[in-house]
Amino acid sequence: MKIVAVTACATGIAHTYMAAEQLEKTAKALGHQIKVETQGAMGIENELSDNDIRQAQGAIFAADIEVEGSERFEGVKLVRVPVQEAIKDPKGVIAKIQG
Amino acid sequence: MSVEAAQAIEFEFECKLSNGLHARPASHLAETANRFASACELTNRRNQTRADIKSVLSTIAADVREGDICTLRVEGPDRAAAMAGLRRFIIEDLPACDEPLAEAALESKAPTLPRGLADTGVTYLYGIAVSRGIGRGAAVVLGRMSLNADFAAEPVDGPAPERERLARGFRAVEARIEELLARNPLGTETGILKAHLAIMSDVTLREEIAKRIDAGRSAARAVVETSEHFRALLQRTGSAYIRERAVDVEELCTELLEEIYGSEFRPPSVELREASILVAETLAPHQLLALDRKFLEGIVLESAGATSHAVILARSMGIPAVVGVAGAARALTPGEPVIVDGDSGLVFPHCPPPVIRFYDRERAAAQRRKAALSKFAQAHAITLDGQRLEIGVNISTAAEAEAGFANGADGVGLFRTELLFAEHKTAPTENEQFEVYAGAVRAGNGRPVILRTADIGGDKPLPYLNLPAERNPFLGYRGIRIYAEYHEMIGAQIRAALRASAIGPVWLMAPMVASLEEALWFKGEVTRGQNALRAQSVAFNSKMPVGIMIEVPSVAFQLKRLCAELDFFSVGTNDLSQYFYAADRENAKLLGISNVRGPAFLALLKNIVSEIRSSGKWVGLCGEMGGDPRNLPLLAGIGFDEISASGNVIPALKRATARLNGVTCRELIERAIQCGTAAEVEALLQAAVPAAVAEPLFSTSLVALDSDSQNKDEAIRELVDTLHAAGRIEDRRPMEEAVWAREAVYSTGLGHGFAIPHCKTDLVHADSIGILKLKQPIEWVSLDGAPVSMVILLALSDSNPKGSHMKVFSRLARKLMNEEFRGRLMEINDPGELISHVGRELEDSI
Repeated sequence: MKIVAVTACATGIAHTYMAAEQLEKTAKALGHQIKVETQGAMGIENELSDNDIRQAQGAIFAADIEVEGSERFEGVKLVRVPVQEAIKDPKGVIAKIQG
Repeated sequence: MSVEAAQAIEFEFECKLSNGLHARPASHLAETANRFASACELTNRRNQTRADIKSVLSTIAADVREGDICTLRVEGPDRAAAMAGLRRFIIEDLPACDEPLAEAALESKAPTLPRGLADTGVTYLYGIAVSRGIGRGAAVVLGRMSLNADFAAEPVDGPAPERERLARGFRAVEARIEELLARNPLGTETGILKAHLAIMSDVTLREEIAKRIDAGRSAARAVVETSEHFRALLQRTGSAYIRERAVDVEELCTELLEEIYGSEFRPPSVELREASILVAETLAPHQLLALDRKFLEGIVLESAGATSHAVILARSMGIPAVVGVAGAARALTPGEPVIVDGDSGLVFPHCPPPVIRFYDRERAAAQRRKAALSKFAQAHAITLDGQRLEIGVNISTAAEAEAGFANGADGVGLFRTELLFAEHKTAPTENEQFEVYAGAVRAGNGRPVILRTADIGGDKPLPYLNLPAERNPFLGYRGIRIYAEYHEMIGAQIRAALRASAIGPVWLMAPMVASLEEALWFKGEVTRGQNALRAQSVAFNSKMPVGIMIEVPSVAFQLKRLCAELDFFSVGTNDLSQYFYAADRENAKLLGISNVRGPAFLALLKNIVSEIRSSGKWVGLCGEMGGDPRNLPLLAGIGFDEISASGNVIPALKRATARLNGVTCRELIERAIQCGTAAEVEALLQAAVPAAVAEPLFSTSLVALDSDSQNKDEAIRELVDTLHAAGRIEDRRPMEEAVWAREAVYSTGLGHGFAIPHCKTDLVHADSIGILKLKQPIEWVSLDGAPVSMVILLALSDSNPKGSHMKVFSRLARKLMNEEFRGRLMEINDPGELISHVGRELEDSI
């Protein structure tokens, strides 16, 4: 399965990146392909292209704040969770796309 | 209604004053009653207490509260006129007597307790923090009357001789006051003396004492008990005005005892025998100097004023002090353990265990900071762009010179010699002074010592000079103005200074110079001293620099001429600001006016320094303004050659200088002068936190692997303290709050025993990572509910976006999701190894 995700926390210093790491690591372990865009203190990194989004079977927003460019994800199956949930239970979050 | 009863008239009224008939309305009432010959008696029907309303103390003692019904009875030849006058006063004027007293504009605001103490319910007092540090010791309360056993004992001969003693005492005190009044003192003093005379003749005061003597007490005990009685009464409404009356009564009772018992009666002499906290209403410099410094751990004063001389001394001695603590002398019991927080202005009675633990940790943090600063002490203070700033020390004794040089002083910027004069019963001799100045010069070992000739008079009177009391002592006969009259005294001081100049560099300056004439006169005196020494073939440095203090604004406008005559200048910002703003610096209500960060004052400083430097002369600053590292960017921008301050702040000033960019500072001061208000200057300073400081992200100084923090409060505070010790933040409390603000969103406990508190703030000078490994895991409300053993603080500097280490932060955050990485961090027990390991792991991002 191909997944795209966006992580964004309030200060953008730590949790944004921890969530990204957790999602990437877990998806790979589960045999999925994932690309995670981080919206943190460094701005947007690893930005998702329209192509990335079009090819994905689902999208995850692990965010405590509004995600920039959320209109890009129109028509894609979207799971919204708090950042903390992606850190604590990345497997469960990914499972939500399949469910 | 009025009732005519034989020779008396009565009038009944209800007290409508919300604070009752307290001292102020009572004094107005007494004033009205005293215009008439008739006896005026008031009966409070609630408690059946009678009062002679001609006596303020008596009226207060009747304890008339709001709603009490009182009967006023007037008896005597002019009763009709008296009753008419009093009735009118009670109906028309009395209600208006109760306007609330104007609150001090800058009364010490109730501070919030620091985190960690806020929830413990500990009691505390507070005031204005004026000398930094934490002090802990037993309370020693100055100026409270107490009796030793001899005087407290019952008299053997019965009350008659005691009454006689008392009467003699009253006569003597009254005679003394009248004698002082006969000398026609100026306004303020006359007012006080008259008030004292009124109290001495107060019927109730005498009755209260007599009553106790009749009951078999000694005169001494009766006086002390009466004083306590009125103190308790006057304390009840708690207004500042009433407290002052209580102090008057107490002062007079003390005088009475001294008159009755002569030299046998002495207020208990203060001798410190253990770690002590001195508590007093006010404190004179000589009282402070008389105390054994090795036991003096802190000072708590009821009076306010951040620049009173005792406070300045306390600061130079490094004794924590809090002033303006209302009611401290009464609230603190002699002997009880007290903690004084000279940073936040808090005073804790009783010292309960949470307070002790909190402040033990505070002291340990302060120690670590001191150790971290010590390396800056002995280096020159040079800005990033190579501009040298001399950092001098302000001293009052030669011993302080040694301490100052040990702290890294580049010289003595101000030797306040007047204390030498205050310590003695007569003026110190030339030789005595020479020994003291020579001591400071030897301690300097080649570094210059700037001596200021005695600044005596005004607020610093000397008993042996017999200077008259003045209406405006700060504007009066003081400093250089008295030198012509005390010509020999100043001659001896100048010769002592000249002789010390043969040993090492001595610079000599005069205080309070207001004109070119005075400066020239002073120069002439130095020449006179040189001639005298030459005639005796005594060695001196004929090139000893001669200068003046700049504290009277007039000299700021004659600098061209003054520069042609003098070698150097030192700006005394304490006096200069109070003269410039016309605001008494001892008056707590005026502290807001004489703000040294006000744009007008900064413009004045800038003009002074520009003029002096354009003439190629040297100019330093020796006021309190120089002691705050936060003012340094402004002062460096103005272009002072030297900043002189208390010895204990020198290392911090040197470290702060090393971070400054001279060009930025010069731009800053130009913008500050353009500001409209002091608040705008403050904001400007805040925003100008020296950016782009080349500090490494990781440092062993930011790592503690054996922390005994017992909760989240303590752990965050410890991390903030390490940033403070390393000079990465100036203010700890706001930094703590910034970290806690993030915790409030949700806990940063990420599970597996790790927490990563973090914040992005302009409080931190450079991006920093602090690491704490805890001996005992603590609760952090983590994602997995497990306690935390390792806390990693990520502090991102908001004012330094370009040099951001955000990439490292993000990489570290990701790494922490890796079990192996976390396991390795937990294993390593050496700070250096930990840092190099983390560095290696994050290499590709650095």
